[in-house]
Amino acid sequence: MSVVAFERKQDNGEWSEKELSTLAAAFGAAIARGSGRQWETATTENGDAQFYLLGPLPEQACELCVSRIGGRYILEDGCGRLLFEHRNLELVALHAKAAVPSTSWLMVRAITLWVAVRNAMHEKVEPFLVEGEELFVQFAPQLAALA
Amino acid sequence: MKRSKHQDVFAERSAVQAAPDAKQLRKLAGDWLKQRRADAELSQADLAARLGLKYYTFISQVENGFSRVPTEIMGAWARELGLEPGAFARHLLMYYEPEMHRLLFGAESK
Repeated sequence: MSVVAFERKQDNGEWSEKELSTLAAAFGAAIARGSGRQWETATTENGDAQFYLLGPLPEQACELCVSRIGGRYILEDGCGRLLFEHRNLELVALHAKAAVPSTSWLMVRAITLWVAVRNAMHEKVEPFLVEGEELFVQFAPQLAALA
Repeated sequence: MKRSKHQDVFAERSAVQAAPDAKQLRKLAGDWLKQRRADAELSQADLAARLGLKYYTFISQVENGFSRVPTEIMGAWARELGLEPGAFARHLLMYYEPEMHRLLFGAESK
């Protein structure tokens, strides 16, 4: 007879390595893309593990928090709004990933590029526009007289 | 409201010091809140229940210095700790918005 060794779920205390890696993986993209985000862990007064996703400097305020209470995982935002809760950490991590406040990296790049192009265009086109405007101001009375 | 060691820390802060570390100030606020809760003989779970929160994890979040007491429940939080809401808010402003606190109440009122 073979016995399958089920992994015992942690109900209290610090995060296990498996739990931490699940959470770190869920927030990996948010933390790694140069957003200035970090994560930290702490505990409640009862010793329940908490995982905090912190926003960028200078505030470094909590954006999302995952806590484990009695084998149940609780996902909250930085204002204490309960976003999701479940006994399955993978499921909670999935919701956490979706809940990360995002200013899309691609969007930021696109806006930066657009502003740069607009400035360059403005610098090149403005002299022509000014010149055209001056010409128009000069010739407008004569054109009006002819009309 | 009692004058705590944290208030003394603020009083000693040099005016020329660089912008205060928001995270560090929130931690000081959290320590102060934790002490006031202990004075009121409430657990984090007790306070959460009285504030209508399903879990006490947010109380821990604030006391650990990762979040602020939200403005909308600041009054209730103060009352549950047996403190006057105005004085409570004013004291927290010292940690959360030190420059605003200085402008509103002046350095001497810390």
